[in-house]
Amino acid sequence: MARVSRGKYNLQVAAIMAVYVALMLFEWPLVGKTHDLTVRAVLALLPAAPIVVVIALVVRRIIRADELEQRTYLIALSMAAGIVSVFAVVGGFLILAKVWHASGAVLFWIFPMLCFAYSIAWLFATRRITGVWDFWGC
Amino acid sequence: MRNRVRELREAHGWSQGVLAEHLDVSRQTVNAIENGKYDPSLPLAFKLARLFRQRIESMFEPDEDRR
Repeated sequence: MARVSRGKYNLQVAAIMAVYVALMLFEWPLVGKTHDLTVRAVLALLPAAPIVVVIALVVRRIIRADELEQRTYLIALSMAAGIVSVFAVVGGFLILAKVWHASGAVLFWIFPMLCFAYSIAWLFATRRITGVWDFWGC
Repeated sequence: MRNRVRELREAHGWSQGVLAEHLDVSRQTVNAIENGKYDPSLPLAFKLARLFRQRIESMFEPDEDRR
């Protein structure tokens, strides 16, 4: 399988995230105005579709990456999963103990937090292995 | 590991990007191998050796300082 070019990947992710932003701006406000439960569920879940596509693109890129890239992706994903898991467990206990009064909306932050932690971890993993700061690579 | 990848690549007049295309890896990976930051897997090392028509042991040798 041929490697996925960085430019093509970045373009695809940017296009899909633009769709996500458009959905959140124009489609999401309709959720509160709809009374039919089925339509409401469909409207509520629609913005999840672009996120699923982005995750599929990330998986495809990792599968088709070369051996050094796969190593950096693995390190970054492991670190990101670890960081987010710690936050999730700590947050969960604080909510259960009623120390932190958070709603279910706090779950929204898991994916952005995972992406952020992954990006930072990838930068450091790449720097450690290649000796170069590659700010546009992940 | 020390290697002669840079020397052989330059002898062919190739850029890192061209070598990366031949090997189907990223330019960053070629750069990391040349600078001794990353030791390639056996399949990739054999691919390099075949590409430059070299014996693998003439391209790679253990770095005594790092032992």
